[in-house]
Amino acid sequence: MRVLIIEDDRDVASFIQKGLSQAGWNVDHADDGKDGLFLATTEKYDALIVDRMLPGVDGLTLIRTLRASSNSTPALILSALGEVDDRVSGLRAGSDDYLVKPFAFSELLARLEALVRRAGASSVAAKTVLQVADLRMDLLRREVNRGDRQIDLQPREFQLLEFLMRHAGQVVTRTMLLEGVWDYHFDPQTNVIDVHISRLRSKIDKGFDRPLLHTVRGAGYRLDG
Amino acid sequence: MMRLPALLRTSVFQLTLIYMALFGVSVAALFAFMYWSTVGFLERQTDEVIDAEITGLREQYARRQLVGLVEIIRDRVRRPGQERSVYLLVDAGLRPLAGNMSYWPPEFDRPAELVEFVYKDAQDMEVPVRARVMGVGNSGFRLLVGREVRELAQLNQTFSRAATWGVGLTMFLALIGGVLVGWSAQQRIAQLNRTTREIIGGDLSKRVPTSGSHDEHEELAVNVNAMLDQIESLLAGLRHVGDSIAHDLRGPLTRLRSRLEMLAAEETPSRAVIEECLAQADGLLSTFNALLRIARVESGAYRSAFAEVNLSEIVRDVCDLYRAAAEEAELKLHCDCVERGLVFGDRELLAQAMTNLLDNAIKYTPAGGRIDVRLTKDSSDVRVTVADTGPGIAVADRERVLARFTRLDQARSRPGNGLGLALVRAVALQHDGVLTLGDNSPGLVVALKLPLVSPRAES
Repeated sequence: MRVLIIEDDRDVASFIQKGLSQAGWNVDHADDGKDGLFLATTEKYDALIVDRMLPGVDGLTLIRTLRASSNSTPALILSALGEVDDRVSGLRAGSDDYLVKPFAFSELLARLEALVRRAGASSVAAKTVLQVADLRMDLLRREVNRGDRQIDLQPREFQLLEFLMRHAGQVVTRTMLLEGVWDYHFDPQTNVIDVHISRLRSKIDKGFDRPLLHTVRGAGYRLDG
Repeated sequence: MMRLPALLRTSVFQLTLIYMALFGVSVAALFAFMYWSTVGFLERQTDEVIDAEITGLREQYARRQLVGLVEIIRDRVRRPGQERSVYLLVDAGLRPLAGNMSYWPPEFDRPAELVEFVYKDAQDMEVPVRARVMGVGNSGFRLLVGREVRELAQLNQTFSRAATWGVGLTMFLALIGGVLVGWSAQQRIAQLNRTTREIIGGDLSKRVPTSGSHDEHEELAVNVNAMLDQIESLLAGLRHVGDSIAHDLRGPLTRLRSRLEMLAAEETPSRAVIEECLAQADGLLSTFNALLRIARVESGAYRSAFAEVNLSEIVRDVCDLYRAAAEEAELKLHCDCVERGLVFGDRELLAQAMTNLLDNAIKYTPAGGRIDVRLTKDSSDVRVTVADTGPGIAVADRERVLARFTRLDQARSRPGNGLGLALVRAVALQHDGVLTLGDNSPGLVVALKLPLVSPRAES
């Protein structure tokens, strides 16, 4: 996987670069908007990480320019502006995700992987059946089975599991779940997500030899066969 | 005393000038009307008398020719009570034949025209006369018939004098009034400006003096003072927040720093300690974020994106998010909100406010307790209450816990940053709502009251 980081803060850039290289990514780095735009248009990347405030061309303009020239490389915006309207303007400019500084590296990695995966399987929304190992979700009949056992889920649990299954094999963070399932862009103080996950786990994993829903320390959760 | 140019620039004075002109014109018009209806009336009456006399004399001439005419004129001149009448019959050479005037007035050239002239009588007195001339036969003889109008002339004179003075006095008084009114307005504005400049200069405790009257200047002064009070209290709040930030963030930062220092000294840093440091840094960040969010909510930045949202849906969603956590803490979470409650607001903010309230309720209610969330509404408001069976908050502390960074003693051992209720209150205020804390005996009831959208349409 090849990613371009466009970020003028060298500390942040090298922190991301190091982490991503360790995770097996191939990383390029540009210092300002102009170089970044040049690289993004001439080279082929699987994803872009773009700082919102850049010297030269700012992040939003850069992404808008790319989208205007029908370059649809998934882009994640990094920004110190965390409020909803900033987020909205970022997404409206054509970015695919938005992460507020400071962030945990695990969060960045999880979101980046989700982005690349989503771009690779653009037909995922059309699927009517999701399957991970012997766990099967029928989206039309709103039914979940593991092996030959039917699993009863509350509507919210169903949504939670659907989100996890769509991101099967990837790390999904608590904030991603809050955003994806509840559509909240703030962090509650209590770890409400953990409780929901543990309930879901007891429904889909209890009584089976092989657990599917794993906790990834310091990052989040992963549904894996 | 103010300089004159400054006075001339005041809007009140300029307005006065306009009024002065209007008044002048009005008074002049009034005098003109009075002139027309008094002096004019007398003149018209005089003219009618003259015309009637001329008609009579014409008839006499037609019947008795020149001789008769002369006789009648002589007779009339002699008759007592006829002093005000003036007659003069002249031949073609303007030589007087009969009448009580000694010469033909030079003003009279054309016949049958009303003219006023001044005639000097035998005693050399100037007598104002209003007269008409008629031709007599074809011989070029002419007869002047008129009336002395001494009173009329006097009246006329008096009238024009009165008019001149009246208009002049009106204008003068208006000018004086304008100067006085403009001056006093200017004084009060100058006072306001002086205070404003002092405040700009840094003395925020200054206030505009008020006089206790109820005019618009007073209203302005009172409003300006109220605004200043608000600014002062906001600034005080800001200062308090600054102090609190310094105080509440320095503690954790110091702890974090000493941990890191210990780590740096170790040969093989323990992973557990590093993770603790990370958790502490995260805690600091979340405090920062909460502070920023409160500040942003208070600044009104969200208001532009407000829309109609169904509060009960938001409340239900948040309850749904928390039910599992509540059960985990062995609490019963009961959510009673079936009614629709449309409010004008921001879904995300309202959800976060509800989240904070439930966070608190779960955190402080001992196991086995109960949390009741209820949504009720009346004709104008929708009320969401979160009632728990925890320790509650003493009446004396209720106002205090709504401020930033207030953590009561029993809460110190628990996680939290003392910003939860402050955010809820900020959200409530931005939605024109009210946040109140009450007694659930035992426990705490937090009530969030928000105005319904168009209550009239629903009731």
